[in-house]
Order: sequence, then structure tokens, then C-alpha cells
Amino acid sequence: MSEASATASFRSLPVRPILLAIAVLVAIAVAIFAGGKVIAQQMVSGLMLGSIYMTVAVAFTLTIGVLNFLNFTIPTLFMLTGMVAWGVLSRGYLSVAGGWGWLLALLIGIAVAVVASLIVERFTFRYLKTRHGDATEHAIPLVSSLGFLLIFEHLVLIALGSEAQRFPVPFKADLYAFGLVIGLPQLASLLLALGIVATLTYVLKRTRMGRALRTIAESPDTASLLGVDVARIVPVVFILTGLLSGVAAALFTVNYGDVSPFMGEHIGTKAIAAMVLGGLGSVWGAVAGGLLVGLAETLSIHFLGGDSVQMVVWGLLLVVIILRPQGLFGASAIGKAKL
Amino acid sequence: MLLEVEGLDVRYGRTHAVKALSLQVADDELVTVLGANGAGKTSLLRALQGLVPASAGRIRFGGVDITRMSPPERLRQRLALVPEGRQIVISLTVHENLLMGAYCRSDSDVRRDVEGVYDRFPNLAARRDMPASVLSGGEQQMLAISRALLARPRLMMLDEPSLGLSPLLVERLFDLLRNLRADGLAILLVEQNTQMALEIASRGLVMELGKVVLEGPSEALASNDRLAAAYFGHAAQHAG
Ligand SMILES: Nc1ncnc2c1ncn2[C@@H]1O[C@H](COP(=O)(O)OP(=O)(O)OP(=O)(O)O)[C@@H](O)[C@H]1O
Ligand SMILES: [Mg+2]
Repeated sequence: MSEASATASFRSLPVRPILLAIAVLVAIAVAIFAGGKVIAQQMVSGLMLGSIYMTVAVAFTLTIGVLNFLNFTIPTLFMLTGMVAWGVLSRGYLSVAGGWGWLLALLIGIAVAVVASLIVERFTFRYLKTRHGDATEHAIPLVSSLGFLLIFEHLVLIALGSEAQRFPVPFKADLYAFGLVIGLPQLASLLLALGIVATLTYVLKRTRMGRALRTIAESPDTASLLGVDVARIVPVVFILTGLLSGVAAALFTVNYGDVSPFMGEHIGTKAIAAMVLGGLGSVWGAVAGGLLVGLAETLSIHFLGGDSVQMVVWGLLLVVIILRPQGLFGASAIGKAKL
Repeated sequence: MLLEVEGLDVRYGRTHAVKALSLQVADDELVTVLGANGAGKTSLLRALQGLVPASAGRIRFGGVDITRMSPPERLRQRLALVPEGRQIVISLTVHENLLMGAYCRSDSDVRRDVEGVYDRFPNLAARRDMPASVLSGGEQQMLAISRALLARPRLMMLDEPSLGLSPLLVERLFDLLRNLRADGLAILLVEQNTQMALEIASRGLVMELGKVVLEGPSEALASNDRLAAAYFGHAAQHAG
């Protein structure tokens, strides 16, 4: 009995996040000593950017982990939030909100992403409801999610134009610590993103719904046998997907101030790289991968110039998957969901 | 009658796995379904739980027509299945697997009932917080049965529970089924272990190519030459 409870307390320690935090702090410390403040500053920016990749990567990994489905609409959901927020704000619909218009606009953008994600669910996962048993025909949702990607993108192009736009960020606040400049909105983004991921991990590991989702991830058939209404829970995954993509886009918009109908593609490819790097179906893997891709991006811009980013990120990915096909944090069996 | 099945048909495309099958199980009965590989036993149980649709026929359970109900709805009617191959969720812990067994329940006795499982199976208690993948075959079968029992079924269906177990564990498994039966649980047992199944069952059915070819009280079946012929004839064909 005492042996069992000792194991329990060990297992409930959040080992991975702690390791991750230590690794990040050590890396920054080493960078300050070895490369000076310039490098450390690049690393801080990389982590901030990485927090956005990480949130989108978690959205990808959640649908892969639970539904075994690479959801191609995630980049569009990201873009929808930014463009809708810019649209409602720039047309003055939110003047009643006064100085808080930007926040209201972003919340509306996130809501639109969630609704759009639910629409995708209706038309990509509907078939799960009509036929019992497991969803083996992955190509159907995959292809229809690609269809949605294009439809949403072109709806936005028609409604809001193809230009990149400036989203007015009403504040600029920087924090100075250890001689580094840390943007407060960026720091808030990192903390918010980490908070969301930690909450999601908690829900998956500790709640009734989380157990049901992990059971579906392993076998929809068994879940159904145990009384889980698979068709009723699948929309929850899509709501979370919309929420994660939307929040990531809101953080991106506040931090960088640019939106465009194509903003999702850039983020989407990086997030997919981050997810594979971290390990398919592993939430903390997506976190590690996202931060790593962010770091790789800013450091390669610093050392090698802007054109090198894609080569460095995807080169890193290829090296990792050749050495460790399951990714940094992935389960030992490739493709076996382990949320 | 607790379970009444009339004219049940199961098809997978062109394969006609269960043909016009009728079957009844009373409240306090243990009925066994025997048959060689591919006879349609698993298809029958999956159709009864709603995991594959019935293409024809009617299923009544506890007086309610459940033919069109989903598997979770049937579970809430308290019809449970211990599936072929056990289907333990290996990425969940032993404890989480048990909690999933009670997923359909919202009463406050779940904790007590889970503790009851641990009292009954100390092996499971010792591995409570380990991933269910570390369990041996016998322990997995105990977990699968306990998980089904946590749904508080009125009828429990088991699909070849003795498969892959050592003779000693098979003995223990059948003891457990006998005890559950004595406690008033109705059981529908699919088995390849003909002799032992007939020992604990009150009645048996023999399936061949989707049809019931033989049916009757256990003692009569056990001594029926046709059972051996039909059953082992096919088993021999499929062996190797
Ligand atoms: N999902 C499926 N799709 C197509 N055909 C199937 C499917 N499942 C079973 N069958 C076919 O239906 C028939 C009955 O199979 P079933 O699994 O019900 O038999 P069984 O009696 O349980 O056999 P076993 O003793 O080997 O478990 C077989 O011919 C099998 O090939
Ligand atoms: Mg079978």
C-alpha cells in the first residue's frame, strides 16, 4: 500500500514542465555568460515567439492525439481571429467599448474561430455519428479540412481584402530585468500560453472528461463500450482547437501588431514542425517543440540572416526525427496516441 | 425474460455474419454461446451491445426495445460487454480504467465500489497507479471484468474471457463467473472452452456460420455427439 502511494505522488509531480523550465533558464544563463546580452535578448524574444507556436502546436497535437486527425483548418482559425478582430475594430463597430475596443475585438475574433471550428466538425466528423465504431477513414476529414482552409481564407479575402493590416496596439510597456528588455504583453503571452497548456494537461490527466478523451484517443470503440458518447465529446475537441488557435492569434496580434489573410500559413507550418519535434500526441512535447522552434527562428535570424529560418527549423526537425523518430517527448511507439 | 433476441441479422458488406438468430436469457441465468472460429459469436455480442448495427431483427432488454440504441444507451440500460481481447485502455492507469468502468454512473457509491474491486483483487490494488499496460494477461482479464461490473450491469456478456490464460487462471476465472452468477448476475458467455463453459452454464447454444445449429440444457449438450462434430470439425479446419 505504501509502495503504491509513493508511486502515485511521484507520478503526479509535473516532471516534464519542471525539466523544461530548468532547461530554458540554464540555456539563457549560459547564453548570457557565453554570448552576452545580445544573444540572451534574442533568446527571450525567441521564447515569446515560441509561446505562440506552442499554443498552435498544442491545438494540432490535441486533434492528432484524440482523433488521429491532422486538422488543416487550424492555420485558418488563427488567421480568422486576427482578421475578424481587425475588421470589426477598423470599421468602428466597437467604438462604444472606448479604450477597450481592441480587447473586445480580439475576443470576438476568438469566438469566431471557435464557431468556425465547430462548423468544421459538423462537416468533417459528422460521419462518426452515423457509423459506429472507430474512425479509420482519416482521409475524409483531412481532405475536407483542407477544403475548409481554402473556403475560409477566400471568404476573408473577399470580405476584408488581401492586404496586410496594422492592428493598433494601444500600449507599449517594457520590463527591464538583468539588463534585458522584456515586453510586458510578450511576457503575459508566455505566461498565459503556459497557463492554458497547464490547465489542458490537468483536464486531460485528472478529470472525467479527460479520461474519456484519452480513452477515445486509444480506441473510440472501447470508449463507446464504456458509455462515452463519442459523437458528443468530439465537438469539445474542436472547441478547444478553436480556442487555442484563437488565443494564439490574439497574442500574436497584440505582440506584433500585424494581421493578414495569410498570417496563419507561416504560423501553421512552424507549429506542425514544433509538434513533430516535440513528439506527436504529447502536450508537453508541443510546448518544448514550440519554444525550440521560436528559439531556432530568432537565433538563426541573428546569426545567419532572415532567409535561413526555414532551413534551420526544418533542418533541426529532420535531424531530430532521424535520431529520434518519436520526437523529443513522444511515446516510444510512433503514432500511438499518448495524451 | 431479461434479454430477448428475435431474428437478428448482422452483415458486413457481403459477409453475412449472423443469420436470423434468436436467443433468450432469463434474469438469473448463465447462458453460453459456443462455436468455432468465424462462427459469428463476436458479431452477435457486438450487435447486442450496439457496436455493429443489426441489419434485421429485434432486441429487447429488460422489457425495453434497445434495437436502435447506441452502445452508451444500452450500457445505461445496464447491459455490459467484456470484449474480445479485453480492450484494456493501456495508456490509462489501472485506477483510471476502473473509473472509466463507472463512467456511465453519477451516484456517490463509485468510490466504495472501486475499493470493493481492490479488496477482491489485491493484485490490481498493488498496481493501482501504474499504466494498465504493465498487467499480466490474467490481471488484465480481472480488470476488464471489474471494469464492466462497475457499470452495475443486469446482464454481463463476455467474449472468450479464457483466451490466452493459463489453466490455473482459467480455473479462477470460471470460479469468479460462478460466484457472480450466484450473486444474481445474468451472464451471456461466449467461449471456445466448451467443456468448462457447459459446466457453469445452465443452457448453451452452438453457432455455425452465423446460425444456431444446436441448443439446449448444458448436460444434454455436453453429451451430444453433434456438438463435438460441428464444433471440433471447424476448429480443426481453422487451426494452424
Ligand atoms: N469488421 C468486420 N468486417 C468484415 N467482416 C467481418 C468483420 N468482423 C467479422 N467479420 C466476419 O464475420 C464472420 C464472423 O466473425 P466473428 O468475429 O463474429 O466470429 P467469431 O465466432 O467471434 O470468431 P472467433 O472465434 O475467431 O472470435 C467471419 O467470417 C469474419 O470474417
Ligand atoms: Mg470472436
